Amino acid sequence: MQPHLKRAFTLLAIAIIGFIAVRALIVPDSFGQNGWYRGDSVFELRNFPVKHAEPVSCGEEDCHKTIYSIWSSAGHKTVNCETCHGPSQEHVNNVRIMPPPANDSRDFCGLCHFKRAARPSGFPQIDPETHGENLKCAYCHNPHKPWFV
Amino acid sequence: MNLSRREFAKIGCRIVIGATAGTAMIESIATNGIAAENSPKGDYNWKEHYWGYLIDTRKCIGCGRCANACKLENNVPFDEPVYRTWVERYRIVNKGREENVTIDSPNGGINGFTDDIPAEQIKKAFYVPKICNHCENPPCVQVCPVGATYSTEDGVVLVDYNYCIGCRYCIQGCPYGARYFNTEKGTADKCTWCYHRITKGLQPACVEACPVGARVFGDLKDPESPVNKILDKERINVLKPDLGTKPKVYYVGLDREVR
Repeated sequence: MQPHLKRAFTLLAIAIIGFIAVRALIVPDSFGQNGWYRGDSVFELRNFPVKHAEPVSCGEEDCHKTIYSIWSSAGHKTVNCETCHGPSQEHVNNVRIMPPPANDSRDFCGLCHFKRAARPSGFPQIDPETHGENLKCAYCHNPHKPWFV
Repeated sequence: MNLSRREFAKIGCRIVIGATAGTAMIESIATNGIAAENSPKGDYNWKEHYWGYLIDTRKCIGCGRCANACKLENNVPFDEPVYRTWVERYRIVNKGREENVTIDSPNGGINGFTDDIPAEQIKKAFYVPKICNHCENPPCVQVCPVGATYSTEDGVVLVDYNYCIGCRYCIQGCPYGARYFNTEKGTADKCTWCYHRITKGLQPACVEACPVGARVFGDLKDPESPVNKILDKERINVLKPDLGTKPKVYYVGLDREVR
């Protein structure tokens, strides 16, 4: 073989081997395992910590059984515990970690119940100017067992 | 040695074929070994599920608890105007013969809405919760230059935060505005339908937080799932069906003004 061809082929071989070596180092092992992405990232996303528990976690094991049975048979049963009480998975895991108390301000109840034009007409709404004389809603209404006048 | 043109071509072809075959062999040995021990099945088999989402706009009261719960669950920067899910308010005002549509979403609806248009001027008004549509044919996945965003077997569009280079093409590519740039991570970010929850049998945080059941989540492969039950009896629409993205977020009671 002529020397200039030898050099050319050697260079080509080095380039190809170098490309394979660098690619093997850079591309993550799980890339392309399930498709054009890093397969391990699915696991990373699945292992993200859960922050909201479900209402059953509150009612089971005699923790909040009384309030759970009152809530689950009354008008606010579609409103889950954590909608008002905030994310509580930490508290479920370790009862010593207390979630902050539920917001009992008029404005918080008003997020759902102040009169707004865009709300479905059948939904119970009040005019905050004329209803309740600026008292906290829980003064008259039990949030776990609401009643409608 | 004198090389004829034919011989040169022969040797060249051999080298190219040999190198390609070698790369393919090394690749297949390397990836097969990993795929066997690290398959995405585990306790949750993603081939058994195909998730879907349904929003009944007739029930939504615009309380914004969904957007609030989403931010808390997924560590979305709370004080930045970025949302994985948000609530829009549509108000159609009748001024004589002209129709005027006002669309707003102050802080994604988290702090609620106040009426700044007199009720007697409003012809119709309603809330529309928005969320990533997890399209079957997602434009955001097509435009990603590095393979950092992808559709899973169970029909969820996810972002690989370690692989994303933060170029923002996907944010531009999404016709629904469902993606945002996460300044804490330095990557694009989006709704995952709470992938860490649904793979453990829980509901997404927004569905959990909704006090009126306007948001429904379920498995489209399970005929008894709540989503399928509503899909079977209600009249369904999706957002921007003309784009061919095939969204998996179905809407009940959508107005023609909603985009």
